[in-house]
Amino acid sequence: MEGIVLALFVCLVLALITKYLSIPPIPFYIIGGVLLGQSGLGLVESNEISHFLSQMGLIFLLFFMGLGLRLDRIAANRSAVFTSGFLDLNINMLIGFLAAYLFGFSIIESVIIAAAFYISSTAMAITSLIDNRKLMMREAETIIWLMVFEDLVLIIFLAIISAGDQNPIIFLIKIAGVLLILYLVAHYGKEFLVSILDRSDELPILFTFGAVLTTASFSMYIGVPETMMVIALGAALATTDPDAFEAHARPFKDVFLVVFFVFFGITINLAGGIDYFMIGAISLLAILSKLISGILTGIFIHDSAYSGIEIWGNTIGRGEFSIALAALYGSPPVATVIASMVIVTSIVGAFTAKYTGRFRRWMASPGRRAPHRHGH
Amino acid sequence: MTLRSVNLPGVGTKYEFTTEKGDTVALFFTKTGTIQMYTLQGGCHTPSAAEMTPMEARRLGNILTGAIIEAESESVEVAFSAIADLRITIHTYVIPGDLAGKTIEDLQIRTKTGVTVIAVSRDEKNIINPPPSFVFKAGDGLVVIGETDQLKKFEREVMVD
Repeated sequence: MEGIVLALFVCLVLALITKYLSIPPIPFYIIGGVLLGQSGLGLVESNEISHFLSQMGLIFLLFFMGLGLRLDRIAANRSAVFTSGFLDLNINMLIGFLAAYLFGFSIIESVIIAAAFYISSTAMAITSLIDNRKLMMREAETIIWLMVFEDLVLIIFLAIISAGDQNPIIFLIKIAGVLLILYLVAHYGKEFLVSILDRSDELPILFTFGAVLTTASFSMYIGVPETMMVIALGAALATTDPDAFEAHARPFKDVFLVVFFVFFGITINLAGGIDYFMIGAISLLAILSKLISGILTGIFIHDSAYSGIEIWGNTIGRGEFSIALAALYGSPPVATVIASMVIVTSIVGAFTAKYTGRFRRWMASPGRRAPHRHGH
Repeated sequence: MTLRSVNLPGVGTKYEFTTEKGDTVALFFTKTGTIQMYTLQGGCHTPSAAEMTPMEARRLGNILTGAIIEAESESVEVAFSAIADLRITIHTYVIPGDLAGKTIEDLQIRTKTGVTVIAVSRDEKNIINPPPSFVFKAGDGLVVIGETDQLKKFEREVMVD
């Protein structure tokens, strides 16, 4: 128990420092964890309680992702979502997979690394757009929809990879069944749900917590992993009052996710040594491949490579989802590679997000380009 | 002028419009609770931005909807379009220590100056339409309504008493 308290205290200090410097906290939680844990000072060990709390963090992260999944909105923005989405997916998955495979990882390990390599941090991208006052840029919407598309891909990826040995068709039917039941519950229980959420006592928050945990625990009985269960729950509840659910689930997500990140760092096993060359190469490629996909997206969507640089600058950081993949499916060497990639890209990304605007203004200084209108 | 509103997943709601002169104004109500306002002059590349708290945004809204705020921080002049020449000023004051313990009647606020105290804010609570027997405490926030001249008189004759 003291271990968790110490880890949380370190995270609190790190959170204060990173907020003050306005840089993303996730890489520092992981570094903090590595220093405290078995590969560092050995002060904190993971145990059953920390494992449970970490699990909660992951579950609430995915529940939030489900809540943000409004298929009607995605359908309304199909063209914008899919062009940029497919470019981003194909280029980054391919480069990530080839890099990992050539460094000697197995095919399955390479697929996991490729997925973690592909998926940018939604939290970092959105925080960077808000903090750097970039919301009005026309690229901002492209970036936001790109993040939505990446979430969709992650869900499909999790569904495929978590099917495991099960018959994929039966597995798909099970997931569809779960979704259908949850949607029906949300649809017919909407009035009841809203009446609970409107209360000002402890009931809404208790209900949200209970619903997420209960749904997750059902996974044991029907063979659908809890990751898929909570995403489905989020997606179903998004049809009722998603903002209220977000508000009630946020405290749990915020606290447990920090535990998840720091204990991910604590359990990183560096006993096999670190291949600095490989880690450096993969991290560098992670930055370069987003540059390629960013520039192509900029050219296809906005007719401008500079737009692509802006998109690149805000989507370099890999974060929560990459770590989630590593924690769920990564062997120790895979987890180490993904953790290093997250640390490097998120720190580099924090700086590029601040300076791409300046770079662009300098490149596009008067006379270099015909004026064009922002917005839509 | 057409106002466009878009819901941006994970960010919040965006409102945007282009003015007759070709400038663009965009407002974002973010999920973090802050409001960002961007203005982009027609033909320019880079917008300028301001981030506001909800409170600041409301004050800006008040200014834009036509309540004229005087240079002194807490005074609002209201003009009614239906009634010609009627201009009412609402002003806030803080009761100084030497007025503590006196009532509205003691100070003869209305007879002397013509203004009316319409509300008092004390310790986070508001008293609307305080009676003449209301006893002031040091630090009470007053909301006073009247014409500009009457308020000047109130400042000269009552507040410095």
